[in-house]
Amino acid sequence: MSTIKIGIMSFAHMHAFGYAMALKALPDVELTAIHDDDAKRGRAMAKQFGTRFVADQAAFLALDTQAVIITSENARHRGMVEAAAAAGKWILCEKPIAPTVEDAKAIVAACKKARVGLGTAFPCRYAQPLIAAKAQIDAGALGKVYAVTCTNHGQSPGGWFADEALSGGGATMDHTVHVADLLRWMLGKEITKVYCELGNQLHQDTLKTDDLGSVHMELEGGVQVSHIASWSRPKSFHTWGDVTMDFIGEKGVLSVDAFNQKITVFDDKLGRAVWAGWGDSLDDGLVADFVASVRERRDPAITGVDGLRATEVTTAAYKAFRTGRMVKV
Amino acid sequence: MNVAIIGCGGMGALHAQMAANCGHKIVLCADSVRKAAAALAEKFGAKVSADPLSAVAAKGVDLVAIATPTPTHLPLIEAAAQAGKDIFCEKPFCLNTADCKKAIAAAEKAKVKLFVGHVVRYFHEFEAMRAKAQSGEIGAAGWLKISRGGIFPGAPGSWFRDYAQSGGVTLDCMIHDLDWVRYAFGEPERIFCQTLMRTEPVQLDYSQVTMRMKNGLIATVIGTWAQPSGFRVKAEICCSGGMIQYDSADAPLAVQPRTVAAGPNMIVPMSPVEKSPYQMEWEEFTTWLEGTGTPRVTARDAMAAVAMAEAALKSAKTGQPVAL
Repeated sequence: MSTIKIGIMSFAHMHAFGYAMALKALPDVELTAIHDDDAKRGRAMAKQFGTRFVADQAAFLALDTQAVIITSENARHRGMVEAAAAAGKWILCEKPIAPTVEDAKAIVAACKKARVGLGTAFPCRYAQPLIAAKAQIDAGALGKVYAVTCTNHGQSPGGWFADEALSGGGATMDHTVHVADLLRWMLGKEITKVYCELGNQLHQDTLKTDDLGSVHMELEGGVQVSHIASWSRPKSFHTWGDVTMDFIGEKGVLSVDAFNQKITVFDDKLGRAVWAGWGDSLDDGLVADFVASVRERRDPAITGVDGLRATEVTTAAYKAFRTGRMVKV
Repeated sequence: MNVAIIGCGGMGALHAQMAANCGHKIVLCADSVRKAAAALAEKFGAKVSADPLSAVAAKGVDLVAIATPTPTHLPLIEAAAQAGKDIFCEKPFCLNTADCKKAIAAAEKAKVKLFVGHVVRYFHEFEAMRAKAQSGEIGAAGWLKISRGGIFPGAPGSWFRDYAQSGGVTLDCMIHDLDWVRYAFGEPERIFCQTLMRTEPVQLDYSQVTMRMKNGLIATVIGTWAQPSGFRVKAEICCSGGMIQYDSADAPLAVQPRTVAAGPNMIVPMSPVEKSPYQMEWEEFTTWLEGTGTPRVTARDAMAAVAMAEAALKSAKTGQPVAL
């Protein structure tokens, strides 16, 4: 097989690290170059992953790569996607695909116009416990699903995540899209209405954005959903956070805790217990599909439109909080 | 004091024992199902009545303990108050705030004591969470989540299954947590709720609430009567400098019988503690009766809890938040 050459644009989002590792592990794939507006970070990453750093974006896009992974700050996705699409690159874009619906639509349109594949990085669709949960639902184990209770908790990432100009919002912007995408994927229904209460009381002194959103959704057919998007896990917590979903169905209930494949380690040096995960890598599946999509000249399995739909839900959540109403998506 | 137990199901039997433990004498057991009244009366050597409404006014009774279906609470309270009896009423206080107001007015007019059993305020784990959250040791609370529930209570035909009588999981079960959040963190500002209240093709109820408190705290409260079995309570309180978690499934004692006989309508979670929360509730109520103490929950608190559940059900119906 011919070698697929891929570049990474920005290591602003820490997920770039996992994607680079996944690329390095795949046969017939070359991590050709790294571009980053933070030259120090870009050089360090290029050294770590045994590739070269290209400071100039135009020069980076002029390389003979077929594809790029864009892991910059949320608000910078659009500019990078438009430039990469114009250069004919296949694109995997970090989530949320954009902080606004306008940007998300422009991203989808730019790739359509340039006839390049566009994927959104929702690696949770490659989590084995979630895949197994979807299989149960698809097989009819729950019958009709009536309600779902979800969480996507995390720790406060700080940095640009808390700078609204770059992120578009706080925990609710960061941690609603995974679950919105999982709901659409697992139930095959669109999200039609959203209500939300935003909070910032856990990091009032250090954060200007929200650190928690208590989000309610309604799906096609009236499925009732509550979801907590948060940066609420304390520094002393035993892991980074979670993705959980409890489904209430006609024939039964199903609870899935996507990252609860771990051993618990009691570490005297840390002074606390920590989880060490042993589950399969999510990034490997996501990146393998992206590489295959480049090879087969098709869209990745999780498309740009999937990213757009999730962003529509997130922006509706912020609108619901501003207006104090449940709003249509 | 001489006590009449009104409603001799699971909760009535429990309250009879707690009252007896406090030194009260169970003199009368009343239930519209005479067999239920007779079974409980035999245990305490009490008289039997199949007419709860006249039993609350019976001579020789000082105190009535009401553990009947929710819609009967108001007429029973009014009749008991009119007859000059002090009253212990199981939660929820009444079906709606209008009825709660009438009940409070009846008790005030008759100058009798009226207590509503919001027992979660007496649970050790909830007291421990409240103390820790209020201490400020791990900063100020910003968000909490409480999930409570299990299998749908009551056999087919039971009043629990008629949402007009029970109010479903929101009014009958989640009211514990709505009350406790207000007890621990102050008054609510607004409430949003989604609830199933299904009867077909299976009967199940599931309620998802987000409540904004006046101090800014966000409370997410989940109530379920949709589980195939069991009963579980989970709580999590996030603070600016840490977090509190509780899970009833993570318990010090587990017993699994090899064969299971027909169980009670609702499995009541009991911690193996020296003094049960129900006992503490009755002891505190007794100090109030004796004029030596004040209970931590008043009839007005119980009315506020009903108002929150009522607002939640209104939100579920309109699909929009309701201001409190």
